[in-house]
Amino acid sequence: MSNPSKDLKVRYQQDLMLWRTPLLRIGLLTLIALYILSPIIWETFPVTKFLSDVGLTMTTLNYAGVFAVGAIGLNLLTGYTGQVSLGHSVFVGAGAYFTAYAGTTWDLPFLIWLPCSLLVGFLIGFIVGPLALRLRGNYLVVVTLGLVFLGDHIFRNWKSVTGGSTGVSVTGASLKIGSIDFRNLEIFGHEFEKSQSFFWLIWGFVAIVALLVKNIVRTRPGRALQAVRDRDIAAEIIGVDLLHYKTMAFAISSSIAALAGALFGVLQSFISPIDFGLLVAIQYIAIIILGGMGTIHGSIIGAFVLGSLPRFVENISRDYDLPGVSGDEGGIGGMISISSLNHIIYGILIAAFLLLEPRGIAGIWMRVKTYFKTWPFSY
Amino acid sequence: MDSSKILDFSQVTLRFGGVTALEDVSFGVKSGELFAIIGPNGAGKTSIFNCINGVYKPQAGSVLFEGKEMIGERPVNVARQGVGRTFQNLGLFMNLDLIDNLLLGRHLKMKTGFFSGALWWGRAKNEEIKNRKKVETIIDLLELQPYRYQPVGLLPYGIQKRVELGRALSMEPRILLLDEPVAGMNLEETEDMARYILEINHELGVPILLVEHDMAMVMDIADRVMALDFGQTIATGIPKEIQDNPLVIAAYLGEAS
Repeated sequence: MSNPSKDLKVRYQQDLMLWRTPLLRIGLLTLIALYILSPIIWETFPVTKFLSDVGLTMTTLNYAGVFAVGAIGLNLLTGYTGQVSLGHSVFVGAGAYFTAYAGTTWDLPFLIWLPCSLLVGFLIGFIVGPLALRLRGNYLVVVTLGLVFLGDHIFRNWKSVTGGSTGVSVTGASLKIGSIDFRNLEIFGHEFEKSQSFFWLIWGFVAIVALLVKNIVRTRPGRALQAVRDRDIAAEIIGVDLLHYKTMAFAISSSIAALAGALFGVLQSFISPIDFGLLVAIQYIAIIILGGMGTIHGSIIGAFVLGSLPRFVENISRDYDLPGVSGDEGGIGGMISISSLNHIIYGILIAAFLLLEPRGIAGIWMRVKTYFKTWPFSY
Repeated sequence: MDSSKILDFSQVTLRFGGVTALEDVSFGVKSGELFAIIGPNGAGKTSIFNCINGVYKPQAGSVLFEGKEMIGERPVNVARQGVGRTFQNLGLFMNLDLIDNLLLGRHLKMKTGFFSGALWWGRAKNEEIKNRKKVETIIDLLELQPYRYQPVGLLPYGIQKRVELGRALSMEPRILLLDEPVAGMNLEETEDMARYILEINHELGVPILLVEHDMAMVMDIADRVMALDFGQTIATGIPKEIQDNPLVIAAYLGEAS
C-alpha cells in the first residue's frame, strides 16, 4: 500500500512544516475553497442549504467565527500558558466598546480603529497580567471572576462611552479598506449581503489569528509559555522569565479578545453589557474545553460547535415540539424555555467532556487518527 | 579567594523560621571538577542548590559563581550566568515532546520573541533549524534517538531523568548542578547515567556539582566529596578520606557506642 520510505524526512525544514502530509495539504485547499465559495453557494447548494435550514445560516457561521477568534486568544492564555481566566468576556467587551466609540464618535477609518482596538486590549491585558505572577490556580480564577463584575460595572456606568445598560450602536464604525466596503460589498457589479461579506471578513481574521498564534506556540515564545504551564519553577531555572511570559500571555490573549469584540460589535450592530457578562466568559471556557485545550484547531472546532448549537437546538425544538420544551422564548407552555435548554446542554457538555475526554474534540480526533495510522495493530 | 574555584560557596547560613537548614557551609568547585555532596535525608543538600539558583535567599554568606555574587539574583539571572540544573523529582515539561524540552533548555541561547515568532518566516524559522541541529548532538550524546517526538510524560522514569540531564546540558552550562540523577534507578540505569555524567565532565569539560544518595556511584566518579549532616559540613576531601571518616560513618550508620 503506502510506501513508508516516502515519508522519510531528510531535512529539519520538513519537520517544521505546518502542512506536512499530502492529506493535510488537500485539507488546507478544501478549507480555502470553502472560505471563498461558502458565501456564494451557501443558500443554493443542496448540502449547505440543508445545513442552513437546520440553523447553520451564514449569520450563525459569522458568530461562530467571532467566537473562534476569541477562543484562540483564550486558548493561548489558558490552554498553552495554564492561566485559567474567567474574565475573557471583559477583554472582548473592551474591544467592542472601543470600536463603538472610535468608529462612531471619533469616526476613525477601519484600518486605524482596528489596530487601536488591538492595542487597547493589549494594554488592559498588560495591566492585569502581572497579577498572575502572584496568584495561581483557583486564586487567579477568583480574581478574574472579580474582573467580570468590575467590567460589568464599568460597562453599565460609563454611560458617555458605553451607553449604560441599554447599550450602544456600532453601525457607525467604518469597514472600508480602500474601495472595498464590507458593509456594502460589490464585486464585478454583484452586490453581496452583509452576512456574506462579513463571512469573508470574519473568517479571514480567524485564519490570520490562527496562523499567527500557531506560529507563536511552535517557536521559542510559545514553548516558554507551555513550560510555564507545565512546571513554572523549572521554567524559571532554565531561564524563562515568568513575569515577562505571563504578562505577555495575558496581553496577547486580551488583544485577540479585543479583536473578537470589535468583530462582534460590527456583526451584531448593537452591544450592551449583557453581551460581555459571566455567561459569555463561561461560554468561552466551554469552547476551549470542548474543542481542546492547548490546540488552535480545537478552538475553532469548539467555537463552530458551540456557536451553532443554540441555533440548531432552537430549530429542532421549533420543528419537532420536544416534550417539556416551550417553543416560546419566555418558556410559556412548557417546563423550560429554549434558551434554558441551551444552557443545560452547555453544562452537560462541559461536564461530560471534562470527565470523559479532557482533551476535547481535538483529543478524539487525535485518537481516531492514531487508530487508523497504526491499523491493524493497536500500537 | 582561590581563583581556580569556578563556584565559591562560602559561609552560607540559611534559616526557615527557627529551623537552620544550612549553617556556615563552605565549599568550592574547581573548574573541570566533579564535586559531590552527600548526606542523609534533610541534611540540606537540595537547599544548597536552591541557594545557588536564587530560589532561596540565605541569611548570611556568599555564593560566587565565576567571581559574581549569586545571592539576591533572580533564578532567571542565575541561569543567564550559565548555571544548569536538574531536579530531584523531575522538572520536565511533561506535555511537551523531547525535542521541545531540549529546545527549552536553549531558551536563553535563542532570541525569537512573540513578534518574530508569529511571523515565522525568516528569523524564527532559521533559529529553529539552527538550534534543532544543536539539540540533535545532545540526543546523540545521551542516546535518546528513539524518543524524539514522544511527550516526555509518557517516557519511562529512567529515560525522563536522562532527558532532564539533556535539557540542562542544552543550556551549554558553565556549571551543572545534578540533584540525585540516579535516585530510584536500577543498577543498569545507574551505570548508564554514571557514564553520561563522566562523559559530560571529561569530554565537554563541564564542572559538575552532584548531590546523590548512591554512595557507590559517588565514590566511583567524584573527584572530591563533601559530607553534610543537619546543615553542617562534617568532612570534605577525596572519596577515600570521606569513606573512612568516622564522623561520616556515624552520620550514616548511627553512633557505634
